[in-house]
Amino acid sequence: MVALVFLIDAIIEQLSLVFTSLIIDICIAFPLAILSVFYKRFSYLVLTITNMAQAIPSFALVAIIVPLAGIGFLPGIVAIVLGSILPIIKNMYIGLTKTNPALIDSGRGMGLTDLQLVRYIRLPLAYPAIFAGLKFSAIIANGIAVLTAIIGSGGLGRIIFEGLASFNVNKTLSGAIPAILIALSLDLIFSIAEKKLKSKSVY
Amino acid sequence: MKFDHVTKIYKETKAVDDVSFDICKGELFVLLGSSGSGKTTTLRLINRLIDPDEGTIYLNGNDTKDMNPVELRRRMGYVIQQIGLFPHMTVKENIGIIPKLERWKEEDISKRTNELLNLVALPPDYFRSRYPHQLSGGQQQRVGLARALAMDPPLLLMDEPFGALDPLLRMQLQNEFLSIKRKLEKTIVFVTHDIEEAFTLADRIGVMHNGKILQIGTPSELLFNPVNEIVSKIIGSENKFKAIKFLQAKDVMIPMDKKYLLQENMTCQEAVNIMISNKIELSIVKESNGDIKQVILSDLLKNEDMRRSINDFGRKLVIVPPDENLSSIITLLKSSNEKLAIVMNQNEIQGLVMIDSVLINLV
Amino acid sequence: MLDTIISVWATQQLTLRTIQHLSMFFIALSISIIIAIIAALLVYSNPRVGNIWFNILNVIETIPELALFIFLLPILGLGEPPTIAACVLYSILPIMRNTYTGLANVSNEYIEIAKAIGLTKNEILFKIRLPMALPLISGGIRVAVVYTMGIITLGGLIAAGGLGVPLQAGIHQYNIPAIIIASLWVGTLGVVFDAVAWIIENKLARRYNPW
Repeated sequence: MVALVFLIDAIIEQLSLVFTSLIIDICIAFPLAILSVFYKRFSYLVLTITNMAQAIPSFALVAIIVPLAGIGFLPGIVAIVLGSILPIIKNMYIGLTKTNPALIDSGRGMGLTDLQLVRYIRLPLAYPAIFAGLKFSAIIANGIAVLTAIIGSGGLGRIIFEGLASFNVNKTLSGAIPAILIALSLDLIFSIAEKKLKSKSVY
Repeated sequence: MKFDHVTKIYKETKAVDDVSFDICKGELFVLLGSSGSGKTTTLRLINRLIDPDEGTIYLNGNDTKDMNPVELRRRMGYVIQQIGLFPHMTVKENIGIIPKLERWKEEDISKRTNELLNLVALPPDYFRSRYPHQLSGGQQQRVGLARALAMDPPLLLMDEPFGALDPLLRMQLQNEFLSIKRKLEKTIVFVTHDIEEAFTLADRIGVMHNGKILQIGTPSELLFNPVNEIVSKIIGSENKFKAIKFLQAKDVMIPMDKKYLLQENMTCQEAVNIMISNKIELSIVKESNGDIKQVILSDLLKNEDMRRSINDFGRKLVIVPPDENLSSIITLLKSSNEKLAIVMNQNEIQGLVMIDSVLINLV
Repeated sequence: MLDTIISVWATQQLTLRTIQHLSMFFIALSISIIIAIIAALLVYSNPRVGNIWFNILNVIETIPELALFIFLLPILGLGEPPTIAACVLYSILPIMRNTYTGLANVSNEYIEIAKAIGLTKNEILFKIRLPMALPLISGGIRVAVVYTMGIITLGGLIAAGGLGVPLQAGIHQYNIPAIIIASLWVGTLGVVFDAVAWIIENKLARRYNPW
């Protein structure tokens, strides 16, 4: 068995990889999605690129980071962000643009500016969709964070790879099981948040 | 076909309430009523899309409950307002789906499809391989009708088939449908809420309201002798004048009674005696040369020599075929300053149209 | 530059790796499609068991691919079998869910008329529901294409061959040209396959659901 401290370290690394990436995801995705709402051409570009990038295998994404950013924690973050940002952008964009046109009209009629429309109408109504995207991204981020151990990011993947290299089944399991538990709890947490928001917003 | 005390209950309301009626072979029977009157439910009971809670439906004397619903439905055409052409199949595949499932030979299916497309006035070469979304609404409904006719079913069920079309197209399709119907001699049960449509198409109409059949009759029976307030409201007295457009000679004529017929070359005296004893003021004389003339009592009485032949007093007469519509009969009579038209179907006197009595009924 | 590409291509045996990769891809995808559609048909005719299966598959979907490998290794050993099995486990859900939704959501008007002109239950399922679900099914398959591509690449890490091998070797040996060429090649394959799947999906959608 792996020493407990060693395992806890790996779990903390794993969680910091996932959450740092998610925060960066949101910071990048949010302005892109809002710009996409206002500029049709820009949205077309963003969505085409995101759709295409989604088809790139995550291993290829992780590997190409090495020549670009080297190895370690930060390159790991870059890889995770690249791989997990797509669902957030997509869902944010869809959530913000699929608002009932009648609501937009009435908001505009009340004298709200475009930005105020986003702030008070589009965004609140998009919360459920945005959280669905976040949940999906978190799951993907967790998956890639296991993989980025191969480029030295640390995390639970480190234990799995060491176990694989030494044919130590127990070691691989002690990496894999926490990774699965993290995935399940991420899924659970975001599902609960999503449900709460859904019940709040009246569709 | 026969409905015998049929009831269908939906959540405690009787959608169809103790309905009994017969439909004769070859007739076009219209179920007329507003939405929620139970007319569509009644139709769907026939092909067992739903089964009755009480009562029995007979087809050629057999209880439909004892028949396999799939076989039953393959012997009935079904056309609905939404048309429901399968979007993943071409026109030909849509029409040929049941023949194909019945394992017809490919060439037979092709032949049948072409026949049917010609029947509904869609050139097969042009339409066969198209998909439903490439057709206009009217074309889709024609294909829908062709599909319903694929197995040459003796019975055709139609649920507001022209309801979604614009009025002009609807009229055109109704006319085409009538001419197709004449060619095919099928029994048709036709559901509609449109009174004009009912009157244009129907041999007989069953008026439905709140799940009950209030009255069954020919268009003119409903128009002139509604059994109660509700029927006359549904038929609508203001519609009586519209009725001039689609009532036909056969709907308003008085069936020919022998008492109106006088022998050729009778003397005036004989004719006057007969007419007075029959309490009629007007008679018809069929002359040996085939001409049909009317003889009017007052003409005969004004004449001084009662031994003259009535042939001398024969007056010309307006003659119309049974499917002549009422408005053109009125025009004809007016232009010839006559009050009576005789309805003839190939040398056979069928009845009389007396414009005064028709107009009185209309008002 | 062309020289580098050619030499990397040769030393990393990229032709062989691509063939391995694609053969695993097609095997895994075919198995996924067959199982998923059959499963969807079964669940469709017996919806009560459906929820359990969808829930299990949903859980599998959240598991990191590498962690799933670890659980398959004791059962299936190293190499192609666990890789293909993982692909199938991940791909069944999107195909099955879409197939099920497609079967269940055919507009009632078509079902009514199909019944009324005398199609049996099975005929309605196979002649009406299944073909009309094709656009949705192909949408599910497109998701599965991306999953399968990604997981097979990871298979390189557990000795399955394929294009994950040069990626892993490149990273371990810090062979930058190998990493760049292999990852660009894998990325291109992923995008191209996805695009093909997208085109097929769109064609079907336009033909079957033109409204």
